[in-house]
Amino acid sequence: MTAGRTVALVTAGIASTGAAWMAHAVAAAPTRQPDVGRGEIIAAQGVPPHVPACTGCHASSSGGSNGGGAFPRIAGQSLEYLDQQLRDFATGVRVNGVMTPIAKGLSAEEIADVTAYYASVAIPFLPLASGDPNLVKRGEQLAKIGDAAKDLQSCDDCHGPDGAGEPPAIPYLAGQYAHYIASQLKQWQLGARKNSPDSMEYIAKRLGDPDIEAVAAYFQQVRSAAQPTQSKE
Amino acid sequence: MVTIGVGLTGSLMALELAKTGLKVVGIERGAPRFTVPDFQSPAIHDELRFSIRKAMMQDNVKEPVTFRNASDQTALPVRRWESFLPGTGLGGAFVHWNGQSFRFQVADFIYKTHIEQRYGKKILDPDLTIQDWGVTYDELEPHFDRFEYLCGVSGKAGNIKGAIQPGGNPFEAPRAREYPTPPMKEPYFGALFRKGAESLGYHPYPQPSANLSRPYTNPEGLSLQQCVFCGFCERYACEHFAKASPQTVILPTLLKKPNFELRTNCQVLRINLDSTGKKATGVTYTDAAGTEFEQPADLVLITAFPLNNVRMLLLSGIGKPYDPKSGEGAVGRNYCYQTTGGATVFMDESINVNPFMASGANGTMIDDFGGDNFDHGPLGFIGGQYVGAIMTNGRPIEFHPTPAGTPKWGRGWKEAVARHYNHTVLVQQHGTSTASRLNYLDLDPTYKDAWGQPLLRMTFDFPENDIRMSQYIADKVVEIGRAMGGKSVIRGGTKRPYTTTVYQSTHNAGGAIMGEDPTTSVVNRYLQCWDVPNVFSVGASAFPQNGSYNYSVTIGALTYWALDAIKNKYLRAPGPLVHT
Repeated sequence: MTAGRTVALVTAGIASTGAAWMAHAVAAAPTRQPDVGRGEIIAAQGVPPHVPACTGCHASSSGGSNGGGAFPRIAGQSLEYLDQQLRDFATGVRVNGVMTPIAKGLSAEEIADVTAYYASVAIPFLPLASGDPNLVKRGEQLAKIGDAAKDLQSCDDCHGPDGAGEPPAIPYLAGQYAHYIASQLKQWQLGARKNSPDSMEYIAKRLGDPDIEAVAAYFQQVRSAAQPTQSKE
Repeated sequence: MVTIGVGLTGSLMALELAKTGLKVVGIERGAPRFTVPDFQSPAIHDELRFSIRKAMMQDNVKEPVTFRNASDQTALPVRRWESFLPGTGLGGAFVHWNGQSFRFQVADFIYKTHIEQRYGKKILDPDLTIQDWGVTYDELEPHFDRFEYLCGVSGKAGNIKGAIQPGGNPFEAPRAREYPTPPMKEPYFGALFRKGAESLGYHPYPQPSANLSRPYTNPEGLSLQQCVFCGFCERYACEHFAKASPQTVILPTLLKKPNFELRTNCQVLRINLDSTGKKATGVTYTDAAGTEFEQPADLVLITAFPLNNVRMLLLSGIGKPYDPKSGEGAVGRNYCYQTTGGATVFMDESINVNPFMASGANGTMIDDFGGDNFDHGPLGFIGGQYVGAIMTNGRPIEFHPTPAGTPKWGRGWKEAVARHYNHTVLVQQHGTSTASRLNYLDLDPTYKDAWGQPLLRMTFDFPENDIRMSQYIADKVVEIGRAMGGKSVIRGGTKRPYTTTVYQSTHNAGGAIMGEDPTTSVVNRYLQCWDVPNVFSVGASAFPQNGSYNYSVTIGALTYWALDAIKNKYLRAPGPLVHT
């Protein structure tokens, strides 16, 4: 066994390395800062003629989206995660008939701007009906503890306490629409979604349909402390 | 039959013997615990609780070890584990291990014969007491294979039936087939090490890992998942079913056996012998309420971690305790450890190591200086170490490398930690510990445990041979650090005296060693006690000296080897399996 503390064991003097040092640095490209304002315009207007507005399905700070269908909530989602998804839609690594042409229609800069907008914006939660309390309770158990009989670890192991997300790579689930969570888990179950760790396919298969509904119902009604409270509309 | 302890060796013994229909009782001093719910987040990533306060380790308020460097000193109890971390609880130390999964090499098992044949007897310092194991690598190979496939080890073979395999370790002992799963992904620190090591002509390869690279179902029908590189392996349990442990690869099958009974929170006090002293009748233990019980048994398996195996033999009066003055007696003799340490390589700030994205065993390493892989003739020492960039974590309390000359606290220290945290590579040295007549285990004459029984006393310092070996390799590691592009390199290497206050390794070994001669070994080649044939002492306590590698897989192979003899020989005709 090794441990980080082993470093305390090395006590001898420092050795100068002089010319032996070689540069391994990744060449630092001049970085362009994403333009959140431009991202908001893309979200609201799309990029004519081929890219429709994002807000129709994903909402904006001024409304839109009803939480139905297979459209996820993306406000406040990890920037890197959103960026990765758009790139995967564009290349076909993640397959989706709606998103692939949209992602292909966006330039790298437009992707950076629109993901920066959605990552930073606080959009109120919709007043959605809560699921069956027993279903929600079962979902909470799976999310927080897992299920020994199914060899299933808790969702929160990776998705963070109360599904708040572990950015940059791992998306939040707290407040995510039940329809979307269930549809993605079913895609993993079928082996149709391939742009995520292999463990998601394994977990979705072990969950089975009733428990997929349970975790979906649970996460939709979770409000993480870091996220905005429900809309009063 | 009874197992004393239900960790790696105990659960494996219990499973295989329960399969034969025997009634098996597993007695575990610690608590029951399972991946779900006990190992789930966020509690399992509590660094203060598990790394600093050692929540998974033997309770050293109740049951410490006493320690001294030499037999003319007075040993004192180790009340805070640092140097080594004996586990407790169901699954034992095989829960909190790192998953570094090596086989010992061919020469390790015939060490004395090999060294004397290659270099002559003169290379050995007079104090050294190395021995052959009494079992050969070829005899163990099928058992290594079986254990690796039980655990699903992820790796790249370097030598299949004598044919060297590109990408693997060319110094590896010949194996019958590939690893069960492919190696883990190489992290950036591993790639930096690979480049540096290759530029110097060495042979880098991916470290074999029991944190799996992909999902796997073992021959027991139990499934493991893919490691997510969370950086909480050693000192922690895996929440993802991704690390081989009794909980993932053994216990779910064992606990379904109707002829197996698990008793947790039960402390075995001694093995009971009949009036002849040559036959065990069972064990005496106390449960969590302090009530004393006697559990009769036809067969007693000591499977309690090397240090506790030796103590159980001594407390039970099995075998003759070792006397360092006369050199007589075998119980406690040849206690060995591991030589560790290594270099700290400080890189440029443009190089982001991201040490927190780690598994316990996803290093890149070389065996060019392992074991007897290089010519020791001109060097005047025996043994060796593997060398590798093996970074298991970037946890905030434990990981803050700073260059020499950095203040130990305050603003200067904080600035140095911030500067170097993400730009430092640790290059480990990890190697042999040579047996010496001066190092041994016995019962402490003064200090007792919570049950009033004498503590185990450890008398240990690194033999000069091992210091010369480690310091020789430390120079080589500095060269590698520079070739990796290190702006500065802090040299490692082991020094005397050995201290219990700095973490080094939990590979305590020896003390109840195996061999061919009852005067210099405690157990025969099948791990059966010479003096009490219905007691087997299983684990690294049987190693006559310690090899270069992390030892868990070799323990697993040795356990299967002993099981083979118990099932196919002992159960058919109970009695001594080896006659002298």
